[in-house]
Amino acid sequence: MKVLKLIPERCTGCLRCELACSYMQTGVFQPSKSVIRVSPFEGHTSYAPYTCTQCAEGWCMTACPVGAITINAAGAKDVLDDKCVGCKLCTVACPYGTMFYDGSTRKAFKCNLCGGDPACAHACPTAAIEYVDTDTVDWIGDFAAQRFDTVLAMEGAR
Amino acid sequence: MTTATLTPRPKTKVEPTMPGAYAGKLLRVDLTKRKCWAEPWSPADMRDWIGGAGLGAMILYRETARGKGNVSWDHPDNRLVLATGPLAGLPVWGTGALTVVTIGAMTNGPTSTQANGFFGANLKYSGYDAIVIQGQSRDWVYLYINDDQVELRNAKSLLGKDTWETQDALNRDVGMGGHHLSVYAIGPAGENLVRFAAIHGDYGHVASKNGCGAVMGKKKLKAVAIVRGTQALRANDPRGVVQAADDVAHDLKTDPSAKSLYEWGTLPGVANLGKMGVLPIKNYTTNVPYDDLTKWEAPKLRQGFDHRGHQCNACGMHHCHMAVVQSGRYKGVMVDEPEYEGWSGAGWTLGATDKEGVAWLNTQIDRACVDVNEFGWLCGWVMEGVEKGWITPKQLGFDLKWGDIQGANRLLQMVNRREGFGDLLAEGVKLAAEKLGGAARDSAIYTMQGASPRGHDHRGRWDEMLDTCTGSTGTLESGVPVHVAELGLPTRINPFNGVEVATQVVGIRGRRHFEDSIGICIFTGRTRLENLCRAIEAATGHTYTVKDAMRMGQRTAAVFRAVRLRCGIGVDREKPSTRYGSTPHDGPAKGQAVSAQWEKMVDTWYAGVGYDRKSGKPLPATLKALGLDWLAKDLWGSKA
Ligand code: SF4
Ligand code: SF4
Repeated sequence: MKVLKLIPERCTGCLRCELACSYMQTGVFQPSKSVIRVSPFEGHTSYAPYTCTQCAEGWCMTACPVGAITINAAGAKDVLDDKCVGCKLCTVACPYGTMFYDGSTRKAFKCNLCGGDPACAHACPTAAIEYVDTDTVDWIGDFAAQRFDTVLAMEGAR
Repeated sequence: MTTATLTPRPKTKVEPTMPGAYAGKLLRVDLTKRKCWAEPWSPADMRDWIGGAGLGAMILYRETARGKGNVSWDHPDNRLVLATGPLAGLPVWGTGALTVVTIGAMTNGPTSTQANGFFGANLKYSGYDAIVIQGQSRDWVYLYINDDQVELRNAKSLLGKDTWETQDALNRDVGMGGHHLSVYAIGPAGENLVRFAAIHGDYGHVASKNGCGAVMGKKKLKAVAIVRGTQALRANDPRGVVQAADDVAHDLKTDPSAKSLYEWGTLPGVANLGKMGVLPIKNYTTNVPYDDLTKWEAPKLRQGFDHRGHQCNACGMHHCHMAVVQSGRYKGVMVDEPEYEGWSGAGWTLGATDKEGVAWLNTQIDRACVDVNEFGWLCGWVMEGVEKGWITPKQLGFDLKWGDIQGANRLLQMVNRREGFGDLLAEGVKLAAEKLGGAARDSAIYTMQGASPRGHDHRGRWDEMLDTCTGSTGTLESGVPVHVAELGLPTRINPFNGVEVATQVVGIRGRRHFEDSIGICIFTGRTRLENLCRAIEAATGHTYTVKDAMRMGQRTAAVFRAVRLRCGIGVDREKPSTRYGSTPHDGPAKGQAVSAQWEKMVDTWYAGVGYDRKSGKPLPATLKALGLDWLAKDLWGSKA
């Protein structure tokens, strides 16, 4: 299956992916409506994007009491708005923190791979996000650990 | 709530509907009364003045008059405008921009100076297109914005902190990191009213010109911190915005005028300008590089550092990096990669050869927070003075030789705190040099308006010298000559033919103010204007042609000019200082005498822009052609 491969070393934290995502998902430009989120490391000098890995377990699907989460044509877990009752169980169930809740619509929302043509992968100027056929893995764990070590070393140098 | 109207209009006119992509409100802050309020602004003004520099110029014009004159930079009624534009917060490259407009401390006249990062985007997502600050606080405060929650908070604990420490502390206080909180702050220099103090934000971005940091310091406003708000921006044609953004990106990646900027930021300037005699070397005492320029080519300037891209909102340029020094004295220290201006102001102007040292000093300058150009002119001048004896180590308190990075930092900290001789130096090189007089005065680099030239040897780049001297914003006003064919200008001119140079400056006049009004970085603004116009049309629904864009910029320039004249800065001050306007005695521009052609250049400029050569006022016909009949009436009365 094609998934979003995240390459944190390339990310500059420009947040363009978030804007592209919010536009594709909601029609407006607003990072908080995006389902890809960019997190800072080392305080303010390293960034990495993060989004649903479309994990095999499908914790969110399992947790949803009304069956509002299905698998779409691109193979992504997708929330059916007319079924979602906004109970937020899925946001608790997801171990990766990539299931979100929109207070204005009172629905859960998540990455649905834009139905097979993800806007974030197009938008990223540094190709830190690729849409490729590969096994999904923990894309940013090693990076985060390495950046954390650098901070400690820098604090020593100060 | 009343709607702010900047331009006088006939009462019967029907206001058009709200354009897309604007937040629609200005945030007003009165520091004297400790009041903050939101004020809608009119769609008609959005059409005419767009945002940023245009909006700021009109606010200065309307709100800083005093009798027949103008309030001074340190008066409570001075306005500090932090403005964005319609593109801010959209996925067009480089759209976190903010433009600072105020009456600046260097010239005591108007200024418009840009910085980037995420401030503009965060501000728009919070529901405001601009912040307009007036009054003076009694105690030090900072402005905190989190959507509708707007507060003036006690800043006592931030006092004395440099700009990076201030942002660190605020991040800690509100429990945020990364770009969730954008902070623009002054350092100790701004607190101590150093005349060329700047405003710095988001680790490495500086609104540096004309002492805007001193204005903020005078208002006792230490920082403005904006949480990335939650308001959505609705574009008129969102798909069109995405398309225009892709076109802008394509231009920047492939067009020869921007490609090297895309790949290396402003770094290539060092070696390239060095070959043309435009790199300022040791306070203009020579035009011949003292070090092998191949060691200063862009890729070499990235060696020795562990680099991290640190781009601004939605930007894909390979510009703006954070870097960790890998070896030597500064090993392990995090620096902001110097711009070309940093390599020149903290490097070549001072005769430095130690690249890690220059990068470190450049970051100290941002953190203390002064304009790196002016610091270069000042420190280089002191170094020359010590060498030649018109400044003594005793006066200074220590010996300062060419290339001494640690000594330069010592000077910076003295200026910063206004200690000893640093108190005089904190007035900027013009006032310090005029005070010392004689050879000291004749060796300093400044304009007679008091503005700091950018980090070039303008004796080999006359267009920028002319623009800096004649401009009304205390810095470059017209722009850079890119995509000139789009403006119907020749693509090549003789850089040492005064008339050709002046004609080009006239021809590009308006571009910079337009760029500074739409909420985009001046580097990503180096795409064709046509692309920017399309982006704005998709964003707002307002149609702009290239001609409309230039006219908008020229209107803004005319308003700035009116404010400048009101500030008492007349035509007689449109000149370079002795050293700044001198003739290089060596190097590639050897013997090219700008002074011999100066009068002719200025005459050509005046005739071209349609301003009165004697009074400096834009002529009534010029103003009317720009649709500024009201300004013609204001400036010329019955003669209009
Ligand atoms: S668009 Fe790319 S570089 Fe920018 S924040 Fe997203 S992943 Fe990082
Ligand atoms: S070109 Fe540089 S300053 Fe401009 S927006 Fe991009 S990263 Fe920021």
